[in-house]
Amino acid sequence: MVKGKKREGVKAGNTKQILNFALSACSILLLLWVWFSVSAVNSRLIPTPAVTWERFLLLLEKPVMRVSFGGHILISLRRILLALIASWIIGISFGVFIGWNKKMNALLGSVFELIRPIPPLAWIPLITICFGIGEFPKLLIVFIGAVMPVIINSRAGMQGIEQIYLDVGIAFNGTQAQVLKEIAIPAALPVIFAGIRTSTSVAWSVVLAAEMIGANAGVGFLVVRGMNGDDMALVVVAMITIGVIGALLSVLTSWMERLVCPWMNIK
Amino acid sequence: MQTTTNRPVKVQVDHLTKRFGDLLVLDDISFQIRKGEFVCVVGPTGCGKTTFLNLLTKLIEPTSGKLLIDGEPADPRRHNLAFVFQEPSCYPWKTVEENIRFGLELKKKSREETETKTEEMLRLLGMERFRKAYPNELSVSSTQRIIIGRAFAMEPDLLLMDEPYAQMDLKLRFYLEDEVLRLWREIGTTVVFITHNVEEAVYLSEKILILSNKPATIKETITNNLPYPRDIASEEFISLRRRVTEQIKWW
Repeated sequence: MVKGKKREGVKAGNTKQILNFALSACSILLLLWVWFSVSAVNSRLIPTPAVTWERFLLLLEKPVMRVSFGGHILISLRRILLALIASWIIGISFGVFIGWNKKMNALLGSVFELIRPIPPLAWIPLITICFGIGEFPKLLIVFIGAVMPVIINSRAGMQGIEQIYLDVGIAFNGTQAQVLKEIAIPAALPVIFAGIRTSTSVAWSVVLAAEMIGANAGVGFLVVRGMNGDDMALVVVAMITIGVIGALLSVLTSWMERLVCPWMNIK
Repeated sequence: MQTTTNRPVKVQVDHLTKRFGDLLVLDDISFQIRKGEFVCVVGPTGCGKTTFLNLLTKLIEPTSGKLLIDGEPADPRRHNLAFVFQEPSCYPWKTVEENIRFGLELKKKSREETETKTEEMLRLLGMERFRKAYPNELSVSSTQRIIIGRAFAMEPDLLLMDEPYAQMDLKLRFYLEDEVLRLWREIGTTVVFITHNVEEAVYLSEKILILSNKPATIKETITNNLPYPRDIASEEFISLRRRVTEQIKWW
């Protein structure tokens, strides 16, 4: 009886999966259909899928600015990786610090609230004046974008810990350091990780914007290159690449979350 | 088992009084708890039971009076106190095993001792099979059992339990009450168990402290000599329950 029920459950799960797959396939088909119809109306302005595909194949053979297609992707990824690692280390430490210590939050929280709403791209002129247009300023812009959600979430995570979890540690006579390390940080980890996920997607969009402004390599550079060279097919290829890699990054962070917070996926 | 009266005194409370400003919450409370004794504290809602507990765990300091454990002033750094809260306090990010060993690790017990006691507790709870499970995978009653196991594993000088079964239905409560008695007997911990359920108090305790309405004083201390396991339908049980209920009435 139980087994029968279980089998039914598995079957229902499968049907649900198939339905979900079919629905997402439908939405992608719909998107393609919109692309076909729009490009059919004015194929000179908007490249058709066929032209785009050919441009993609050409890109695989012929490098842009002596850098291969894969090379451009790797350069962008390397930029966000460096900036993300720095933003996670600094953002989590700072967020946990001001979330844990009320006085520090009063002292530094308001400065943070002032800086937080400034979009990363607004920093570009200032950063360019100070650091030029090399590699470091790009990393810095990505860092500024990525560090904000990490700080916000780390602080919120620390402030939202259930008091009872801390009380247990206090009743067991744990030291402040033990309570922080063994209780507070693990309790806040799911919220902190949501910040890490947001920071990854923010970093990916900011790096592209930073590359569009002053770079000679990277996926964002390909967009600018296509625009300047009246090569709209290249622009579309780069856009699709951005979308696919963004989605892959999101899958990757979900996977990391399952690894770091294994208790989160249990219902 | 030794009878209650010839065991040494574990906890000595002398003239304990607590005021918050003008509000007198606990008024001159004195009592003794013997080593390994199971004491239930009953009293009307809002009579200051929580304050009473917080004083015992030294989360707050008394206005006057003394609290001695083994003849020395109670000190959480020297004495081993454990607490089971009413709200679920199992750590969702730790597995069953990690939750049970948590208190031992916090106290920096040796690795060997931690290992032995954790295994012992998993065995006593019959949860060896679920050692790697997370609390969210288990039922509410199982998570409450883990919390109780976590507290008993520390072999505390004094284990304070604050209405741990208040949220449970009847069947679960009976089951968990038997389990807490079993752990208590196996490990020999001194237990102070707060409840507002008179039947529970009579079923579990060797001694019942009845608190009065605020400001709380000890209205009566009842020695409960009914033999374990107790039969809640027996005449003696019912008459004792009635006696406690009469005392607890504040209306």
